Amino acid sequence: MNKKEFSFKEAVSRIEEIIKNIESGDLDIDKLSDEVKTATELIRQCQKKLKTTEDEINSIFRDLS
Amino acid sequence: MTEKLSLYELQLMIRDSLYISFPGMYWVIAEISEVKENSTGHCYLELIEKQADDKNVRARIKAIIWCKQYRFLKSYFENITGEKLREGLKVLVRIKIEYHELYGLSLIICDIDPAFTVGELAMKRQHIIRQLEEEGVFSMNKELGLPFIIQKLAIISSAGAAGYTDFMNHLINNEFGYVFYTHLFESPMQGSDTEQGILNALGRISGYQDLFDAVVIIRGGGSQVDLSWFDNYNIAYYITQFPIPVLTGIGHDKDMSVSDMVACVALKTPTAVADFIVSHMLAKENRLMEMLVEIKDLTHTIVEKSRNRLETAGIRLPPLPRILLSAVKEQLAEISMRLIRSGNEQLRIASLLPGGQTSRLPGVIKTFLLSRRTSLELSAKILAPESVKLLQKRKSELDFFQKNLDLLMPENVLRRGYTITYMNGHVKKTIDGLAPGNIIETRFIDGKISSRVMEDEKE
Repeated sequence: MNKKEFSFKEAVSRIEEIIKNIESGDLDIDKLSDEVKTATELIRQCQKKLKTTEDEINSIFRDLS
Repeated sequence: MTEKLSLYELQLMIRDSLYISFPGMYWVIAEISEVKENSTGHCYLELIEKQADDKNVRARIKAIIWCKQYRFLKSYFENITGEKLREGLKVLVRIKIEYHELYGLSLIICDIDPAFTVGELAMKRQHIIRQLEEEGVFSMNKELGLPFIIQKLAIISSAGAAGYTDFMNHLINNEFGYVFYTHLFESPMQGSDTEQGILNALGRISGYQDLFDAVVIIRGGGSQVDLSWFDNYNIAYYITQFPIPVLTGIGHDKDMSVSDMVACVALKTPTAVADFIVSHMLAKENRLMEMLVEIKDLTHTIVEKSRNRLETAGIRLPPLPRILLSAVKEQLAEISMRLIRSGNEQLRIASLLPGGQTSRLPGVIKTFLLSRRTSLELSAKILAPESVKLLQKRKSELDFFQKNLDLLMPENVLRRGYTITYMNGHVKKTIDGLAPGNIIETRFIDGKISSRVMEDEKE
């Protein structure tokens, strides 16, 4: 079973949701740190995704008939 | 008829009669169904006319453009129409009839009117556009919009095309180091196989649509010609229905094909498509950075706000006890003031007392004592009825106790029939210590008797 492929779209949606939550002021300050951590980690993954080759994807594309 | 002709003579007769019947030049409308250039530079065509159903052919003839005219007519036609002479094109040509004893009948093309072909192509394009609009599909691929990133690309092109190589070079060697995943789905990009090739490629890609962010249709070289292969209803329709965005770089400057018009993004050249995709990635990476800054700013603001709240509380807290104390002090001062005011009032009243006191002070004392006495009297008035009630209550309780005590008095007990027994002057409550022969004294209410103990029996 392949690991779930990282979804850029989902990551961006999640980041936007976190920003919205923080902006709204509803976010509990106790949760702020976790949410910020999640968002920055997702951004880091997105940036990595733009510039790092994934062998898995490469092989899928190679195998296309 | 006895005269016999040789085949050659017959052919000459046919030729002569044709030349007599068709002496000059004629403008003829026809569709090219075949074009071949041979090594000597002559161009051999087959011209047809289709029936109204646009399928069956109702006329067909060979035509030739001699190399001398062809060199000139070819560039003239291509410059104006943006098209090569190719099958499927409708042309208006000026011809003369030629009949050759060896090759038979053919038309010699002396001139061509490109404006007619332009009009025909434009009409065809307009027809396709109108049809797509009427079907309500024209902008469907545009409406998909572009994904957040365009990184996995299905490319439709021909492998050897310069445009494909340029595209890949621009993409892979982008200055920002973005990684792209590409797969080429080969198709002829010009000629009569274009339509089927592109439809096949799109069909294959749709089987893997989840793997790709977009489809790129590119064609080499930036050539102006052969654009009309993409003015094709079937290709355009498939693009409109495609589930992921289609980007085109079919290579033309003057005009857009219908396929370009319906694509999500249409650019002039393959390299322009590559640059567009790289710019899109750059914009999105910048957006990520903006979001990061946004998060940092927001977080900073929230933390700052919380800190300010704490600081404000810290500032507000220390003076609170002082404020509280000063409030108490004020209250005390107020009470003192009231007392003083009250004293002054007393003094004022005292000074007004009749009796001609020579000194104020004794008057004050008198007034004070008077007020105290008055107050005591007042208290007594209030207290008296209450005290009486209390005393009566206490008296009732005492009476009750007295009655109980009376009942217990020895006389009363004797009166109820009880007796008291003494021996040697001491009350005997039990028979302990009594023995036969002992003298005991029994007291009744009305007197006493002496008696001797005969025997005892303890119960």
